[in-house]
Amino acid sequence: MPLAAGAVLIVAIAMFPSLAPNPYILSSGVIVLNWAVLATAWNFVGGFTGYISLGHGALAGLGGYATGLLITKADLPSFVALIVAAVLVAALAVPIGFAALRVRGASFVIVSIALVLILLLVFQSWSSVTGGSRGLVVPRPFPGMLRPEHHRVFFFLYGGLLLLALATWWLLDRSRFGMGLKAIREDEDKAESLGTPTFAYKLTVFVVSAAFTALAGGLYALWFGDLDPVFQFSVLTGSYIVLMALLGGVRNLYGPVLGAIVVGVALEYFKVEFGNTPLHLVTTGLLLGLVVMFMPDGVIPSLTALVKRLRKREDSSIREVTAADLAEQRKREREAANS
Amino acid sequence: MTLKTTGLRKAFGGVVAIDGADVAFQPGKVNALIGPNGSGKTTFFNCVTGMIKPDEGSVHFGDRDLTGRAPHVIARAGVGRTFQLCRTFPRMTAIENVLSAVRPGGLLHGLRSAHRKTEIDRAHHWLTRLGIEHLAGAEARTMSWGQQKLLELAGVLMAEPKTILLDEPAGGVNPALLDRIGTLVRELNAEGRTFVIVEHNMDLVMSISDHIVVFDRGRPIAAGPPAEIRADERVLGAYLGV
Repeated sequence: MPLAAGAVLIVAIAMFPSLAPNPYILSSGVIVLNWAVLATAWNFVGGFTGYISLGHGALAGLGGYATGLLITKADLPSFVALIVAAVLVAALAVPIGFAALRVRGASFVIVSIALVLILLLVFQSWSSVTGGSRGLVVPRPFPGMLRPEHHRVFFFLYGGLLLLALATWWLLDRSRFGMGLKAIREDEDKAESLGTPTFAYKLTVFVVSAAFTALAGGLYALWFGDLDPVFQFSVLTGSYIVLMALLGGVRNLYGPVLGAIVVGVALEYFKVEFGNTPLHLVTTGLLLGLVVMFMPDGVIPSLTALVKRLRKREDSSIREVTAADLAEQRKREREAANS
Repeated sequence: MTLKTTGLRKAFGGVVAIDGADVAFQPGKVNALIGPNGSGKTTFFNCVTGMIKPDEGSVHFGDRDLTGRAPHVIARAGVGRTFQLCRTFPRMTAIENVLSAVRPGGLLHGLRSAHRKTEIDRAHHWLTRLGIEHLAGAEARTMSWGQQKLLELAGVLMAEPKTILLDEPAGGVNPALLDRIGTLVRELNAEGRTFVIVEHNMDLVMSISDHIVVFDRGRPIAAGPPAEIRADERVLGAYLGV
């Protein structure tokens, strides 16, 4: 099942650029894939351990800025800068995680929001390095390449990164390490009492998640070419990621990807149709409420449960039968016996 | 190996839950820890298993000092425990619940499949032994209280502890299951596992224990075999308030 869905995803990624009718649609595809990577990277923490981070936008922002600064200030080649930036963010995730993962539940959510707000202030104020509110221009990795081709290349780069993230998630999902992480999600104290070093596990997976998030952020910097702290360190980014993952289903490998496609496409649509109105915020907020209330496990598990229920109806041992149904059934049986 | 505490003390604000407890459990035996409500039994359990850090005193398992160590370190040292309000992983299946107790070892070992045949077989063994093998594929949250208690014990046994601490194994359990738990404890003990049981059900305590420690106001007031404890006036006093 995961392999079949993976094959479909690979074919879809391979075909999309040639099917996209214009460069705008292709660039929207890049944005949606960026969301898909971010949501999958988030799901390493959110899905396995159940720690809901609203601060992953900040990790992506750090990845973007680190990539941009390594190119502009340290003269590193674009893709070397991208990798080094991801390593740096992963290293920085150790102290961040060390502090944040000490608290659970709502407290962790608040700490993760604080991370975004603190970094927003830092990157806005430290303008001698980051460019502050004027933004940071990141040189294109392929100078002279035309826009549509540029989008196409980045679409495939994002596609590769997404597959790598999915493969890693799948590997962890079936491993003992993953089993320990899921035990943390279920009952952290209990997991600890069975011998799982919960803190080390949480920290490790947070670092892995941060590395993938930073790679997505760095790739975005290379693709978009312009970074602004207001957008890079926005609480909204983390909120969208959480919405996407929850919508698709956090316990499922492809849940966040599906959520990213639905929400990512919707966000682009709202941008085109309604411009700068806050309508997209209202809609996504409403969607989040609906998902949490009616599909807390996300679309994929809800749909599989529905399919299972429909299929099982035939051979279930417990049926809901009215007296009239029962009489009808008996009558049919009698007739069958008589004939 | 002997599980032993020396001068253990834990206060929550002004309330002294454990007040200088010197306790040595007998290795290879079924030990019971009894005492009135609020006498500090569960806090004592939590201090011994690392769930809370004691203010003073020490916890030793054999010659290993486990004072204030993290719960997973203590679990890996060979001290397993169940919880008073039975705790399982609700949205994992029974078999996954048991498999969660497998030691992952180092990083590379941690990346190995969680569903290796040897471990699956071992998990099935424990589920069968506790009579809940037919529920292997059921999520823990769908199981009854009694089944969850057995499942919790199966998980603890999977981790191969040398000493097992059971916090109120008889709580909320029907008489038939109570008998089964009592028999199981005796059987598992006969195979070499040490037990320490906190329990209010005196019939169970008296019938399965070799050694009883009585707590009152955060410290042991008596210790000995069941017959001796039953006759001890201090114990009667603690329970009846005379």
